[in-house]
Amino acid sequence: MIQLQNASRWYGQVIGINDVTCEIGPGVTALLGMNGAGKSTLMRLITGQMQPTTGSVTVDGQLVFGNPEVYRKLGYCPEIDDFYEHWSGRKFVTHLARLSGFSAADAKSRAERVLGEVGMADRADKKIAGYSKGMRQRIKLAQAMVHDPQAILLDEPLNGLDPVGRREFINLLGNLADLGKTILVSSHILFEVEQMTRSILLLNRGRLLASGDLGVIRQLIDKYPHRVRVESHEPRRVAERLVTLPFVLNIEFDPRGDALEVQTREPGQFYDFIPQLVLDENLPIEGFSSPDNNLESIFGYLVEA
Amino acid sequence: MASPIADVSYRDYDGPLFPARYRWWVIAKQGILLASKKRNLQVLSFVSAWYYVAMIIVLFFVNQGGTGGDMRSRAMESIMKQVIWKDQFLHGFSFAQLPLLLVTLILGAGAIANDNRSRALLVYLSRPCTKLDYLIGKFVGIFVPIFVILAVPTILFYAYCALSFNQYGFLRDAPYLLPQMLVVIVVSAAFHAGLVLAVSAMFDQGRVAGATYAAMYFITNFFTVAMAITWASADGKAPGPVKHLFYGSIDGLQIGFCKALLDTSGSRPFVGSQKGTEAQLPVPPPPMMAISLIILALIVGSAFLTWRRIRAVEVVG
Amino acid sequence: MNVVEVSHLTVRYGSFTALSDFSCEIQEGCTGLLGPNGAGKTTLIKTLMGFVNPQSGTARILGQDVVASGPSIRQRIGLMPEQDCHIPGMTAVSFVAYAGELAGMPSAQAIQRAHEVLEHCGLGEARYRNVETYSTGMKQRIKLAQALVHGPKVLFLDEPTNGLDPRGREEMLDLIRSISHGKGVNVLVSSHVLRDIERVCDRVVVVMKGQLRATGTIKELKAIQGQPLDVEVREPNNAFASKLMEIGAIVGPPKNNIYRVQLAGDVLKAHVTVQSAARATGAQIRGFRLAERSLEDAFLDAVQPGEPPHILHAPTTGGAQ
Repeated sequence: MIQLQNASRWYGQVIGINDVTCEIGPGVTALLGMNGAGKSTLMRLITGQMQPTTGSVTVDGQLVFGNPEVYRKLGYCPEIDDFYEHWSGRKFVTHLARLSGFSAADAKSRAERVLGEVGMADRADKKIAGYSKGMRQRIKLAQAMVHDPQAILLDEPLNGLDPVGRREFINLLGNLADLGKTILVSSHILFEVEQMTRSILLLNRGRLLASGDLGVIRQLIDKYPHRVRVESHEPRRVAERLVTLPFVLNIEFDPRGDALEVQTREPGQFYDFIPQLVLDENLPIEGFSSPDNNLESIFGYLVEA
Repeated sequence: MASPIADVSYRDYDGPLFPARYRWWVIAKQGILLASKKRNLQVLSFVSAWYYVAMIIVLFFVNQGGTGGDMRSRAMESIMKQVIWKDQFLHGFSFAQLPLLLVTLILGAGAIANDNRSRALLVYLSRPCTKLDYLIGKFVGIFVPIFVILAVPTILFYAYCALSFNQYGFLRDAPYLLPQMLVVIVVSAAFHAGLVLAVSAMFDQGRVAGATYAAMYFITNFFTVAMAITWASADGKAPGPVKHLFYGSIDGLQIGFCKALLDTSGSRPFVGSQKGTEAQLPVPPPPMMAISLIILALIVGSAFLTWRRIRAVEVVG
Repeated sequence: MNVVEVSHLTVRYGSFTALSDFSCEIQEGCTGLLGPNGAGKTTLIKTLMGFVNPQSGTARILGQDVVASGPSIRQRIGLMPEQDCHIPGMTAVSFVAYAGELAGMPSAQAIQRAHEVLEHCGLGEARYRNVETYSTGMKQRIKLAQALVHGPKVLFLDEPTNGLDPRGREEMLDLIRSISHGKGVNVLVSSHVLRDIERVCDRVVVVMKGQLRATGTIKELKAIQGQPLDVEVREPNNAFASKLMEIGAIVGPPKNNIYRVQLAGDVLKAHVTVQSAARATGAQIRGFRLAERSLEDAFLDAVQPGEPPHILHAPTTGGAQ
């Protein structure tokens, strides 16, 4: 739905994003990267606040910049926290609904609905100045949802929320994604991101490093063989056996003496082999798991120094 | 035996620690150090002393001209005899006011305002510093540089006059001149420091605080000038209040205090002694008690306002 | 030895009661302070730092009463606040040295120590630059440095990884770990990111609505009754699940390709059982381990309204964990 084609944007000498080509479809996609990698620039390009210096940014085939038709389809939940502090949350959301072109009655009912969905229905009449961070985030999401856009972009939405709030927010986003909307979330808290989606867009220094499914990406990172941690009280005996396998590259012993870590380029073959070790050769293996099969490790591998 | 590879991991600090009292001096010292490094302050301190410098030059030449026995010399000598020494210090003080405004702004406009913006109070209060330490430290940090900038030229000028012009009755005419001037300078520095701190505490941007203080200064000054014109045009018969309202401005209050303490009405600057036929009639000094009380009230009021503005509780989260 | 002792503390702001009859003990080492927004965590820290005076109750840090000996305590504790704070117009070194002097260090020691601490926090050449030009990550490090410069015995960290990207987060957590373990510095970390707390702290204190909700070691809080197992497969396989259930296991529905299986017997036997079931039904097992509640789940359970508080008093001397 959202498509970038060789899009670049720079500010004087400073590069924002550099030759990015990607497509973002329905469902939740995570936008990841170090600070300064270009995530905010990307968001601003997609929401039409800026024009790409070269290349194109389109939504459903139409160029975004200066195009109100496209703006109707997008909702933006920015990182910055500036509101009209003396307004109530309800007034704020209603007003923004009106700005989208709805009639007064329509705007009011939409605002009510959306405030209920984000869980602010009972607290929306207080002035925004007195809101906690969590409440502000919800109001931001409400105003991004109020005009029923096809795509919602969120910049660090989980910032400042306590775990309960985060869980609710993530569920909310999941529900929206289930309705077929395109959700792009930028966040640093990788553990949370992993629970939301397996589809990522990774930026580094303005370039797109990886896009797509987490599992697929992991498979393709050649440089770092898969690590499997095997728990056993007789690690050396297990190691003795594993060392003969051609696809085992490296074995490291845990200093506590109750596990070993195996590195292999063929995880599939390795997992196929384990039943033989356990059932046929009776090796005392208590468990095994893959410590680097998570977003944080993959992030670390892809983004180097 | 010591290992050849040094251990550079984190280590504890177990050195000496001063007891948790009188932290204000650390804050004040920092303020003074920062002030002394500013180049424009150094320049301004010379500028504020311009009257004294000019007077030294004038007096020197008039004095030189007074030696010798001819008519011109005797005229010069008579001029020297008529110099009202008190008034020279008054003029030096009052002409220093405008540069002093700039000095105060540089030192004080951002003193608390910048701290408000960068939430520095969190750093201060998480040490054994109390709000009182902070306030006193900031105050002294502005007070001392202002005092030095005013006092040094005054003392130097006094020394010059005492050494050179004793024969014209310098020491005899006004024996308490130096201590009096020092009192005036102390009050002046305290007044400026207190006021600018209060204004600075109201804002969280140094520039805005500075602009506000400057505006206060100039608006009240305008008021003073208006009073002066009224007084002059009424030829000395203006109603009573005008005489007092003349001092109703930031520099007016200080000049008034100085006049009251030195007990002089002022005169023409630069070796003028007569009241003269000029339009500018000097205004008599205000009553000592009244003006001291007003200044004191303002200083205390500013301190109170500043204290109220520094709130610790809202600063954290 | 208890580093912090809070006893029946009540703190009110006007009519709002932030902490009500709150009591807890914080032991040596690294402790996490958890709780929903508005629960009273920040108020607790403010009270311990002496910013706020309690209406009733006492709090003691390192044996000294917070209200009576505030200044002397503050010489031995450090605070890394959540918000950005710095003294304007100074370079990093002069700022940290000044902070040290404010705490009572003589100025020669202050500068020396400032350099040492900045080095440890990973600020190399950047320490000669004005603090106002720093990026988020560097600002966090400066906050940590100014909290450490006077060698505090107790350190309060409020959201230390706020705004940091994953790399920065990792470095900050490593930094905190290196200080809190083995160096005699007791750390109290208040954070919403439970993953970070898990990596750095040994124990947690959970606060909710001004009251103590749970306290104990992280291991205890994460342990689940009955020792269930997490079995990760390549793709969900109903035959596999049914086969296990036939043998008497309790199998939950797969989440992210992981089945939660409850099986009697020790882990080795369980592994054999599961592997044979997998072989029989053609499932490829990619992971087999004891299930652990994430700290997140443990926390969410603990703060369910209506739940009785879990006060787990772990033995302070010895005891198997």
